Formats: sequence, structure tokens, C-alpha cells
Amino acid sequence: MDKVKVEICCGTSCYLLGASELVDIELRLSPDIRGCVEITGRPCLELCERENIGQAPYVRFNGNEIMCAATPEKVMARIVELAGEGGSSC
Amino acid sequence: MTDDPFIEAEYCQFTKNGQAACGDNVQIMKLDDGRRLLAAVCDGLGSGVKANVMANMTGVMSLRFLESGIVDIREGMEIIMDSLPMCSVRKISYSTFSLLDWRLGELGRIIEMGNPAYIHLRGTEEVQCVCERKIVSKHWPDREVREADIDISTGDRIILCSDGVTQAGLGSGGDLAFGWRRRGVLACAQDAIRANPDISAKELARVIAERARDIVPGGCLDDITCFVCYLRKPRLMRVLSGPPFYKERDAEFASLAKALGEEHTLVCGGTTANILERELGRRIEISMDDIRKAGKMPPAGTLRGVAKVTEGVLTLTRVTEELDDGNSAEGQPGPVSLILQMFDAHDAVEFLVGTMVNEMHQEPSMPQDLDIRRTAIRRLANILRRQYRKRVSVKFF
Repeated sequence: MDKVKVEICCGTSCYLLGASELVDIELRLSPDIRGCVEITGRPCLELCERENIGQAPYVRFNGNEIMCAATPEKVMARIVELAGEGGSSC
Repeated sequence: MTDDPFIEAEYCQFTKNGQAACGDNVQIMKLDDGRRLLAAVCDGLGSGVKANVMANMTGVMSLRFLESGIVDIREGMEIIMDSLPMCSVRKISYSTFSLLDWRLGELGRIIEMGNPAYIHLRGTEEVQCVCERKIVSKHWPDREVREADIDISTGDRIILCSDGVTQAGLGSGGDLAFGWRRRGVLACAQDAIRANPDISAKELARVIAERARDIVPGGCLDDITCFVCYLRKPRLMRVLSGPPFYKERDAEFASLAKALGEEHTLVCGGTTANILERELGRRIEISMDDIRKAGKMPPAGTLRGVAKVTEGVLTLTRVTEELDDGNSAEGQPGPVSLILQMFDAHDAVEFLVGTMVNEMHQEPSMPQDLDIRRTAIRRLANILRRQYRKRVSVKFF
């Protein structure tokens, strides 16, 4: 099955508002979940300039789902949910 | 940006064991938009703070005399020697020195008193001076000043050092009975150039000074200073930061990004990076490892084959502060270290600055020191130019 794709926005606003807290989420995931997730950085998701969207930091899941005001706990919980939805191999 | 040869002038210095201050002093000044170099390598009497004061006074005064041109340097030397504070123990005032005054396209002038004789290398061959004069001081008849005119071509290197280099290992017996000597320094420089014909002035100075320090165990028994000046084709790097004001210029901006290659191109800014991804059809890679190495800073990534990529204004502001404080790349967060190393490895820096303002950065909730890009880059450019003697240009898009 496809891995859960997690993209952390590495733009200025996101880092000022706490994106660096997400630095160790991969290490904090259980080994079985870690194997079915791919976490990368993106230069900037350009979401902070949009109106009516929540606050930075932003994380994008599977290329389309946006999480605002991302914290390590929220991101890890969502990864676990998505990995669970993905099927038994994860 | 001009392709004129670049004068790279750097030095490496180690302080004598147990001393808080180095008794050698180096002054480097570039004038006339980098076309004229003034340098002084001075070695104060004794060691520690007293020597440091002597060397510093000599270095600063001699460069001012050379710069102003009002006082003939021979007369200037008398003034300096008369002005130095007298050592209460030895009843003399003293700092040996080597001065280099050179304007591109003209003969260079070396003026030396008491320091080891300069070395002029073309490749690995030693070059003799065009003419040499010896002058005995009027007020201090025991002091002789040597003056030499030298003809410097592109690719040449000039090495000046304190006697802590040539006398390294003195008294150790065998080949070192009289120290490493000038011929030891010369052979070391020739070996280093043979191994790496493009070795930078900074690297060559480091190789020579470290060799002098390590020639016998026990560290520095005297202050060690090696200055190298290298007339070279400038190593150019390009920094692109900020989206162009007019979207129609994005393609032109992107084509400038791919001209020099990954090792020589830096893209600072998320939106700028996105423009390049779109225009060049390639993806920027930022791994978890990059994120971890960055610590609290936004991470650096790679646009493979094209550029290194970092966040913009936070990273550049931090880099500017580190440069202003004279800090090296060592121990810095990943992206800061990357940029400091890139600046260190290049002579000429071309900033291409997009002037589109990120409105989010102007929001009252954002820190006040989230500087407007143009101001931040102007400050960085000035520091690179004045403190690091780089050739810098800034072009706005």
C-alpha cells in the first residue's frame, strides 16, 4: 500500500509559530507506524497568505489534507489514523 | 559582476601557549572597489598583551600611512618606531613588520623590517622581485628596512609570516636545529599547491600555520601568523531571494538560478523556491534529516543540480548576525552552517533580490525584527563587503 505522505511547511511564518516542534515526530512514532509514513519538508505551502484558513504551522497529508496550528501530538494522532485507514500492512 | 581578477587576502593565526592575546597582528584593507590591497603582518616585541599592543599600533599606523599617501612610508616607519611604547624591561620599543601595498595592474611593493622575507609564488615556482632597496633607519640605526617591487600576475601568491612560523621547532635538532626556516615554509607551500593548484589563500595560510604549530609536539612556543594573498579568477556564487515584483520575470529569474550549479547557487525563501520548482519542473528535497540538522531553524533543502535552498529572512538575518560577530560555520544549525560555508568558499557574491513583499510578514503578530528582505540583504551585503572583503553586487527584480 502507499505510504502516508506528510509534508511539513518550512516557511518563515510556520517556523515562527512553532514548526520546529515537529522536528522529532518521526522518532516518536512507534516503529510499525514509522514504516508506513513518509515525512518530508516543503519550502513553503503558501497557505499563510490565504484568508479564512487557520493559523500556521501547517502540515499537509497525502497531498491534499491541510492541518492548521499543527502540534506534534495532533500530527502523530492523524498519522496513526491515516495509517490505520490504509489497511493491515501498516 | 566584473570578471576582473580577485585579490583573495586571508590569514591564519595561533597564539603562543598560555597567552591571552596574540603578539602578532594582521591588518588587511581593500580600497578602490577591491582593486588595491594594503596588508600588514606585525610581530610585537615579546608576547601577550604588550606585544599585541605594539603589533596592533604598528599595523594600524602603517596602513593609515599607506592609505593616505600623505606621509612617505619610510618617514612613516620612523614615526611608528618613535611612537611605540618602551618596554620597561628591555628598554626598547619594537614590532617587526611586513607590509604589502599593491594596486591591480601595477607593481606591488613589499616593505619589511625584521620579519622573515616574503615568498612570491607563480604556481610552485618562486618569483624574484623586480628591484630591491635597503634603507637604514635614521633614528634607529640598528634597524634595516627592505623594500621590494614585485610583479604579480593572475594565479600568483604572496606569503608573509611572522618568525613564529620560520622558527617553529627551533632547537629540536636534526633538520630543525635552526627551526623550520623560510625554505621549510616554501617547500610546504609548494607541496600544498602541487596537491591542489587552486588552493585558496585561506586554506594555504591554514596549512602553513598548522604545520608550523604541529612541527614539534607541545603546541605554539611563539605566536604563529601566516598571511597569504592570491590573485585569482573570482569564485562566483549567486543568491536568489524573494519573488520578482512582476510575475512575467519569473522565468528569467529561474534561468539565472540554474546558470552556476548547485555548489554555487543559493535560493533563500519559500515562495522563491516554489517559483523555481514550477519554472524548472524539478522538486526541492527536504528530508527529515535536513529538518533535524536545522534544530530550531527552518531546514535547508536541495534543488538537485541547481541550488541549495533555505528559508529566507529568518535564516539570512541569523547568518548576518553570525558574520557580524565573526563566527565560523562550525557548530551552527544546518542551514546557517551551509550558507556560511558557501560564503567562505566564494570570492564574489551576486544577490538577485525579488522585491515582492510577503504581506504575512508585515502582520502585527509577527516579530518586529522580521526585517524587510531588501534591508536584510543590504546589511548582509555590506558585512560581506566590508568585513569579509568579498566582491558583492545586489540586483533587484
